[in-house]
Amino acid sequence: MSLTTGKLVEALPAQSVLARSRARAALIPDLLVEAQRVANNVFAGWHGRRRRGIGENFWQFRPYVQGENLAAIDWRRSARDDHVYVKDREWQASHTIWLWVDESASMLYQSSSAEVSKQSRALVLALAMAELLARSGERIGWLGVSKPIVHRHAAERLASDLIVAGAQDRWPDMKHIGDHAEVVLFSDFLESREDEEAHLAVFRDLSDKRVRGHLVQIIDPAEEVFSYAGRMEFRDPETGHRLNLGSAQTVKQDYEALFRGHTQLLADYCSRLGWSHTLHHTDHLASQALQSLHVAMSENPFDGGR
Amino acid sequence: MAGLPLAFASPWVLLALLALPVIWYLLRLTPPKPRSEFFPPFVILEQLKATEDTPAKSPWWLTLLRLAMAALAILAMAGPILNPGETPLKGEGPLLMVIDDGWASAASSDQVHRTALAMLAVAGEKGRPVTIVRTTDLEDVSLEPMSAAEASGLLEAGTNRPARPDHALAAQRIRSAIAATGFGETVFFSDGLARSDRTRGLLDSLASIDGPLLVASPDTSGLVALRPVENQPSSMIGTAIRANGGGSLPLRITAFDKNGLPIATTQTLFADGETEARFELSQPVEVRNQIVRIVAESANNAGAVQLLDDSNRRRVVGLISGQSADISQPLLSPLYYINRALSPFSDLRFADTANTDEAVDDLLNQNVSAMVLADVGTLPVQAREQITGFLDKGGLVIRFAGPRLAANPASALLPVELVQGDRFIGGALSWETPKSVAPFEPSSPFFGLKTPEDVSVSRQVLALQSQDLENRTWARLEDGTPLVTANQVGAGWLVLFHVNSDNNWSNLPLSGTFVEMLRRTVNLARSTGVKPLEDAQLRLPPMEVLDGKGVPVPPPVGVKPLVLEGSIEPRVTLENPPGLYGTEDGFRALNLIGDAETLTALEPAMLPAKAQTTTLAASTSLTLRPWLLLAAMVLFLADCLAVLWFAGLIRGSSKARPRSVPAATALLLAAALGPVAPAGSFMSPAMAQSATADDGLDYSAALRTRFAYVVNGNEEIDAISRAGLLGLTRFVSSRTALEPGDPVGVDVITDELSFYPFLYWAIDPAAPAPGEEAMARVDAYMKQGGTVLFDTRDQISGVLNNGSGGNQKLREILATLDIPPLEPVPSDHVLTKAFFLLDSFPGRYQGGDLWVEQIGTADETETRPARAGDGVSTIMITSNDFAGAWAVDEQNRSLLPITPPVPGQREYAFRVGVNIVMYTMTGNYKADQVHVPALLERLGQ
Repeated sequence: MSLTTGKLVEALPAQSVLARSRARAALIPDLLVEAQRVANNVFAGWHGRRRRGIGENFWQFRPYVQGENLAAIDWRRSARDDHVYVKDREWQASHTIWLWVDESASMLYQSSSAEVSKQSRALVLALAMAELLARSGERIGWLGVSKPIVHRHAAERLASDLIVAGAQDRWPDMKHIGDHAEVVLFSDFLESREDEEAHLAVFRDLSDKRVRGHLVQIIDPAEEVFSYAGRMEFRDPETGHRLNLGSAQTVKQDYEALFRGHTQLLADYCSRLGWSHTLHHTDHLASQALQSLHVAMSENPFDGGR
Repeated sequence: MAGLPLAFASPWVLLALLALPVIWYLLRLTPPKPRSEFFPPFVILEQLKATEDTPAKSPWWLTLLRLAMAALAILAMAGPILNPGETPLKGEGPLLMVIDDGWASAASSDQVHRTALAMLAVAGEKGRPVTIVRTTDLEDVSLEPMSAAEASGLLEAGTNRPARPDHALAAQRIRSAIAATGFGETVFFSDGLARSDRTRGLLDSLASIDGPLLVASPDTSGLVALRPVENQPSSMIGTAIRANGGGSLPLRITAFDKNGLPIATTQTLFADGETEARFELSQPVEVRNQIVRIVAESANNAGAVQLLDDSNRRRVVGLISGQSADISQPLLSPLYYINRALSPFSDLRFADTANTDEAVDDLLNQNVSAMVLADVGTLPVQAREQITGFLDKGGLVIRFAGPRLAANPASALLPVELVQGDRFIGGALSWETPKSVAPFEPSSPFFGLKTPEDVSVSRQVLALQSQDLENRTWARLEDGTPLVTANQVGAGWLVLFHVNSDNNWSNLPLSGTFVEMLRRTVNLARSTGVKPLEDAQLRLPPMEVLDGKGVPVPPPVGVKPLVLEGSIEPRVTLENPPGLYGTEDGFRALNLIGDAETLTALEPAMLPAKAQTTTLAASTSLTLRPWLLLAAMVLFLADCLAVLWFAGLIRGSSKARPRSVPAATALLLAAALGPVAPAGSFMSPAMAQSATADDGLDYSAALRTRFAYVVNGNEEIDAISRAGLLGLTRFVSSRTALEPGDPVGVDVITDELSFYPFLYWAIDPAAPAPGEEAMARVDAYMKQGGTVLFDTRDQISGVLNNGSGGNQKLREILATLDIPPLEPVPSDHVLTKAFFLLDSFPGRYQGGDLWVEQIGTADETETRPARAGDGVSTIMITSNDFAGAWAVDEQNRSLLPITPPVPGQREYAFRVGVNIVMYTMTGNYKADQVHVPALLERLGQ
């Protein structure tokens, strides 16, 4: 019986990249199935991005208003009574939405109080998001993996691309993201200070291009609540550095405050940019995160919810 | 072993203590191993400045703990013994050991036993043969010398027997033993009591032996015994005795019934220097009758126990009437009132026959202890003789006057001589009025009874004036004529009531005083108990006997039946230990201590000159090994805990315990910490079911208004309900003067509902409907003024509410409720105006109606802008999923999308919530507010 609180789900030596990517490739189809299940669950209450607009699907009849294009009048409907009706179509201007999942070593972490590792939860969320967006007819791309596509089965396509591309353990280049696109990033956002500042700068640049970002911060409950005590040796899964603490419980308060501060910093930064920041714990249901992500994506960020 | 009374069984093991410094050195060098963990937020951890490390060496106290553990283990292995036994045996040759093992040795028997065994061990080492004489032994026990091991075996069963030591017999046996064996040394374990000449004889014969004489005499200051008790009419009186008149000694006496339960207790005190102390149990006779055992507490010997048998019990009373028994008119029977008065505290026997001769014979055969003759005039000769014999043996005869007795005053067996005929007081031709009873005199057994003022006597038989009359009168009328007279005949009493036993002559038999008088009279009778018939032998099997400590035990092997022969009092022997003999129906108590018993302490002056006193082993020699091992074990556990603490497996707070703590550790912790072990860490904080949290929840709920939702058990729905109410709470706090506390989930089955103004109940089609009990609670809640908001959340399902699962489930839930007629909120309902002005009630969906209790038919002529019944609708039903619209997360962001996404619908949903809250909290207040303009207008007039 292991005495540790958390573990890296694939405790493979760093060299065996091939083996690791194989394991991950075997993982992805399962995650895709899970993602579709979650997406189906959420879709029951998901009424798309229904707005009036250009598109092919019938949306509604509404009375004709003076000054509208006469071509819009639906004569067949109008003939049934004394009013003149316009046939509205569903708004279908598809957005380009970029997804990306951080698959660095720290994302492989899974504590005993969580059901899944951060990575697999992130992949499930991203694929489920892809599935939902695909059903709404959006253009979806995966940063560093595939270009945006509009396809009914875009999620499957992305999944197979992911299998080929291998783990995305480095941050992708975001320079090529076009204006008005949306970016959904799934990560734990635990990085060294320099990396983090660089990323924040990138976010600012994107924001200048009117790109809307949605950061989904996935954390393990054991990371938020510091439940270690006594003599501890902590190891960084990414760098392998070690840190010895004589009595770990003494830093509990400081650590938790710092962690909260870090999360808050990120959230504040996002709200400054008009981006959304969603905190998700791996011991919660995936559909929760998906719901709030959806609310964040469909509501105008500037009208403030209610 | 001079100085410290400590010895080691294997002292060489102590050499291992030399290894302690090495152990110390090793322990200092080995720090506890840290627990290694992957930790992704390493970067954050690194920013903490406090990166102190545990010293590479163990803390000094842990090392000390372990050293102490090692030292204790080594010491334990060496087998230390505290107070190793020492014996003062000095002589050579065969050893004579005389042991007083009677009842008085109970307190010291353990010490005697140990000391004797220690001596036997010494004797055994030297190969000395031993003869043991126990002073309670019967004559036929062999006095051949035996080996010390055999002697130890003999003492194995203890040195205390519930019997009397017979020093005379012992002295005789010792003399014969001396003749057979030349003893080299003598030890006498006395029980501390001297039995006059017999003890002297014993000591003399012991002194005649060559070689040293050791006498061990225990302290007898705590030795107490009880003499037989006497059951007086009003109390049970007894005497406790002790050997030496030392300082004052309080004593607690407890009486037990047949089942061994204490039923009475009393205190007494040996005054300073006194050897006797009287005690009194003044419980009612019914209670006293149940006592079978009286114990002087803390004495713990068989002499301090008095067993009681039927002779201390309820009396058997035989009734004889001179009148022919007329069964059809029982109230007229002369025995009726006597029967009623006696039956509570006596066993009554009726003669089967009207023939007085036969009746007396019959009753005597039934072993009665008292006999009541109601208006029996002349006694036949045979009956008279029998009754006289009965009186001589201590019987009690109570006679009542009556027409027959009045007619035959010369009849024998009367306490006083009577005047012919009866005296009639207060008749039509008399100036006198019926007489009442005079107060009882102190010499009368009735003294202390309340003088019955309501008793009047109109007829009586009169006694001839004589010198004895004064002494024989127990009660008299106010004019001095006797009412009750009594005379002692032989060992018994003859009592005459000068009135008859029904209410013709007086109303005395109707009064409570009559009962008391009869009770006191009957208590004079000696109980007959189990008695052998004339010249016959009665063998009573042992029922329960006392052991040496005075504890009642089932009879052990070797106890023989008690033989009662004639009037010979049985004696306590080894074969007949004190106890109860007989059967449940009738038994005889056999007690160690007799009436005249006194205790005398064995004074040193009484000992022969050559005797050397020795003390008994004060305390036992204690083998310290198990205790040391236990201490080491405790230290080991402490060490385990310390190690666990270092490893971080024990935490100060019970919050968020990761489940990785292995079960074994958890078990160990649970065992070690017991109730301190954290509980409830896996419970959802919002749930109210936790039994321990219940009170706290109720308190906080009572102190602050909170919204509550019904926990369905479906986590998802419950979470949305909670988030919804949280959103509503925040909205209400920001927009209104109401600032509710955090919402709570309640379980309708277990939680107290009355604290919550309204309950939000999201219907889960999949969950089973609550049971009838739960619905009864909801019904009570609604009837006490609560409002339940049912939300089927299925407006979107489209099918107009009929077929949907939520709707059906709602019907199922409501089936057992007493639901008033409902209607969709009418446009003039106060709900539309309670805070915001509303014309629809959207939630996450739009279009579903909000149903409330129907408010009577509106008066068509009245044009009121708002209507409200009295009070608040107890039920609201919607399908619009209010909670879904209200639900927010901690950052105040909405959780669920509005469907369809009409802008502002969420705002309206919140307004609906506020209106519902205001409506439930303020009732029809707003409906009255609309009258304000009219009121103002009137005021203006």
